Amino acid sequence: MTIQHIGGCIGCRECVLSCPCDVIRMDEAVNKAVIAYPADCQICHLCRMYCPVDAITLSPEKTIPVVVSWG
Amino acid sequence: MSKSDELTRREFLAYGGGAAGMLALAAVYSRNVTRIDTDAISSSTHQCDVLVIGGGMAGLFAAVKAHDAGASVMMVSKGRLGSSGLTPFAKGFFVFDPATETMTLDEYTYTVSRSALGTNNPVYTRQTAEHSLARAAELREWGFFDSNLYNKAFRRPVDARSIPVIERVVITHLFKEGRRVAGAAGFRLDAEATVTFRAKSVILCTGAGAFKPNGFPVCDLTHDGTIMAYNIGAKVTGKEWNDGHIGRAKNPAATYDGWGDMFDQRPSTEGVGVRHDLGVEVNYLAYMQGSPIEMGPASSIDGEPFRPAEFADVQRPSEAPAGRERPQSGGGPGAGGGPPARKGDANGGGGPGLGGGAPGMGGDAMGGASAGMAIHKSEGLVPINDQCESNVPGLFAAGDALGSYMCGAIYTQVGSSLAGSAVQGAVAGEAAARYSQGVELQAVPEDVLTSIEGEILAPLRREAGYGPAWVTQTLQGIMIPNFVLYIKKESMLRAALAYIEELRDHHMPMLRAADMHELRLAHETANMIVSAEMKLKASIMRTESRCSHYRLDYPQMDDENWRAWINIDKDEQGQMRLEKQAFDAWPAA
Amino acid sequence: MGVTVKPDLKKLIAIAALVVFVALPILFYALGDFPRRSVLKEAISLLTLVALSLMLGQFFLARSNMGVIELYNLRRIRTVHAVIANFAVSWLLLHPFLVVVPRFFEAGIEPWDAMTMMLTTYSSTGIALGLAAWVLLLVLTVTAIFRIRLIKALHTKYPRWRHFHGMLSIALTTFALLHAISLGRHTDTPMATMLIVVSVVGVAMLLRMYFPQRAGAPEPPSAPNVREQAR
Ligand SMILES: Cc1cc2nc3c(=O)[nH]c(=O)nc-3n(C[C@H](O)[C@H](O)[C@H](O)COP(=O)(O)OP(=O)(O)OC[C@H]3O[C@@H](n4cnc5c(N)ncnc54)[C@H](O)[C@@H]3O)c2cc1C
Repeated sequence: MTIQHIGGCIGCRECVLSCPCDVIRMDEAVNKAVIAYPADCQICHLCRMYCPVDAITLSPEKTIPVVVSWG
Repeated sequence: MSKSDELTRREFLAYGGGAAGMLALAAVYSRNVTRIDTDAISSSTHQCDVLVIGGGMAGLFAAVKAHDAGASVMMVSKGRLGSSGLTPFAKGFFVFDPATETMTLDEYTYTVSRSALGTNNPVYTRQTAEHSLARAAELREWGFFDSNLYNKAFRRPVDARSIPVIERVVITHLFKEGRRVAGAAGFRLDAEATVTFRAKSVILCTGAGAFKPNGFPVCDLTHDGTIMAYNIGAKVTGKEWNDGHIGRAKNPAATYDGWGDMFDQRPSTEGVGVRHDLGVEVNYLAYMQGSPIEMGPASSIDGEPFRPAEFADVQRPSEAPAGRERPQSGGGPGAGGGPPARKGDANGGGGPGLGGGAPGMGGDAMGGASAGMAIHKSEGLVPINDQCESNVPGLFAAGDALGSYMCGAIYTQVGSSLAGSAVQGAVAGEAAARYSQGVELQAVPEDVLTSIEGEILAPLRREAGYGPAWVTQTLQGIMIPNFVLYIKKESMLRAALAYIEELRDHHMPMLRAADMHELRLAHETANMIVSAEMKLKASIMRTESRCSHYRLDYPQMDDENWRAWINIDKDEQGQMRLEKQAFDAWPAA
Repeated sequence: MGVTVKPDLKKLIAIAALVVFVALPILFYALGDFPRRSVLKEAISLLTLVALSLMLGQFFLARSNMGVIELYNLRRIRTVHAVIANFAVSWLLLHPFLVVVPRFFEAGIEPWDAMTMMLTTYSSTGIALGLAAWVLLLVLTVTAIFRIRLIKALHTKYPRWRHFHGMLSIALTTFALLHAISLGRHTDTPMATMLIVVSVVGVAMLLRMYFPQRAGAPEPPSAPNVREQAR
């Protein structure tokens, strides 16, 4: 896992904006940020540092997709 | 995961809590759009004198200075102002302060040239040093040095001038009318919409790029600016050079962790300190010795990349501030392109690891952290003068997007990358404003814009094809190995080129996307494929070794034939064309 | 025999109260699948959870819970009620600031900016609920501190003030709970269930006292009022 968990989100969108890689999106139905594309996370922690309520947890681990013949 | 947590909690509320108002929130969570009706995609058009693409250090100054020079300016970035590209992670800002420096500007420029083995463009080397103090002063006023996060400080001058900033728009195309640039187009990440900008002049501040490698926070950049400019006839340079950053073998993708506490630090300024860093010496060591790399005090080995004697031992662990441009040690990536010093201080290979690998934090190093990126400012658009102007009239570039060779094809002056982006952004901003005063906004035929829109949306319209993530992974497998990208030889470069041409000819036209995020990935992947082709062709052409370009089959520096940069452009048939440009010359406009 | 049972019951009830209002939230916190952060952050979170839970406990240290009052006597219950008010409630009043306090000790957005961002996220119902709860809590606290003067100034009676105090707590609790459930990083299903059950029971007791519908509902006792007013 890369960006791992969002807990206590207030829906301010700061993380969505500050993620360079577009990993986080808003779930508009509940007005909360969700980890939409974890495969593209570069574990730079900008989202965590911009979050006003410190809702984001990251892990240094990242799994690389398995190699297949087409995809 | 968190998503399901939220759901169950809300379901629970809806069932049991009796909070009727919350019922609405219990709506079933649906993933981001999986299928987009491409016929329903909206579009909008904006208009300005100077369009600045990119919201890093270069983009900031380009927008501010173009505005101050009287132009109507718009900024667009695929990420956030001050929180995208490489800028958020750079902490050392080079300042040449004549009051405190012992060197003169000329001496400084000359020192950089010696370390860069002639590869730098002294005009740009000097320009950065000369204007650095003034740019730093402005940044200080905006509060840049007060926080480790830059958005707020970047917003200050931009908001004060009411410069419109459109974030989260991916620009994919530049367009011309006649010979001149006439605008740019792209799409929104947050809406099913395309966006067109009509402008008298465009400044590319799109940064550099790489192959979405693991270990360097460059995964949002894929040389987009370079490739879109190349597509409308601009010359690009520097593709044979490499940036030799290495990372940790453990959790290599964790860029934050790999850089110690550097991302937490506030920026500060650095004085003159010229080095010869982050080339491919460690890659050579790893190639010859295998992994893990053993570094001793005399770990230099036969045939390794040439390092000028004068700069042989400039890296000392005690020079901590000077090490800001590279990951901090503690087993993290080491200094000067060197891995963490596993056996005390190492000189030869790439120099000692900064901080010397504190006990307990040590770990093996791995290569290719920034694979696909060259030394900052050694790659990008070819400038035709000292005004950051490209060979396409009205098209400017600044910072990492401009192949200014400000510090040459090896890291020379510490902290000059950030300063160089600031200085060049300002120069380009003023030049573009001046240019736009003398020209009219051009009418672009509707059919041109329609066909561009078609190209932008094509991956969404494909019912089947290749997923960009898979193509990227395949490209990484071809390009990132040490024996392809760093320690080069002709046979292998040609072999890799055959693979890349396959991706270019068969896979690039079939990239598919299911949503706007994937659409971005599809365009980025295409740009990486073209970049890879450029890298391989330029590497094949440069039959010598110099700075961060190393050829096993041509290990020597060849001053007779290669005191020249390589420029690439598209010929009349749309083929990639490579040419030499002498180190001391400007290209023909 | 009657002599020995009573102290035991007292002890038992005290322990039960501690279990419900202190141990349970800690247990749910410990069992929950939440990422563990720095000691400072976790300590603040945990104390906030316990404070919230203790605040709910106030419903049970009121006249609506005559059983407890009879068991321990009013004065002691009142003291406990006041102590909890002093500590738990002030902690909760500090809650919006405590959220951003750790930013003083780590890199990232400045605490003040975080605060501003948080309070100006108008799109968030959770924030609005929290703000409403915070304001009510402040009103509740202020009116409780100055109750005697207030009663005098308004020429009213103590039971009227108490009624007001109780109703305000119900409103406050509703907002606070919805806020905690919609935004709280530790309010997972067990935690939320516990908080809701506790408040529903507490509020029901209070309402039963104020709006006695069935025979046998406890009448608001009036005798102690005199003492209260005289204090
Ligand atoms: C970890 C790290 C440490 C560093 N340390 C230092 C240091 O200490 N000192 C130093 O001088 N330098 C350092 N550097 C280098 C420095 O960060 C860069 O050279 C500099 O910030 C480049 O600035 P820029 O504005 O030219 O480009 P960037 O900051 O890369 O900005 C590029 C911008 O272009 C936008 N963009 C790109 N493509 C598109 C597109 N298709 N459509 C729309 N927008 C687009 C991006 O969103 C971004 O806003 C470091 C770099 C890294 C990664």
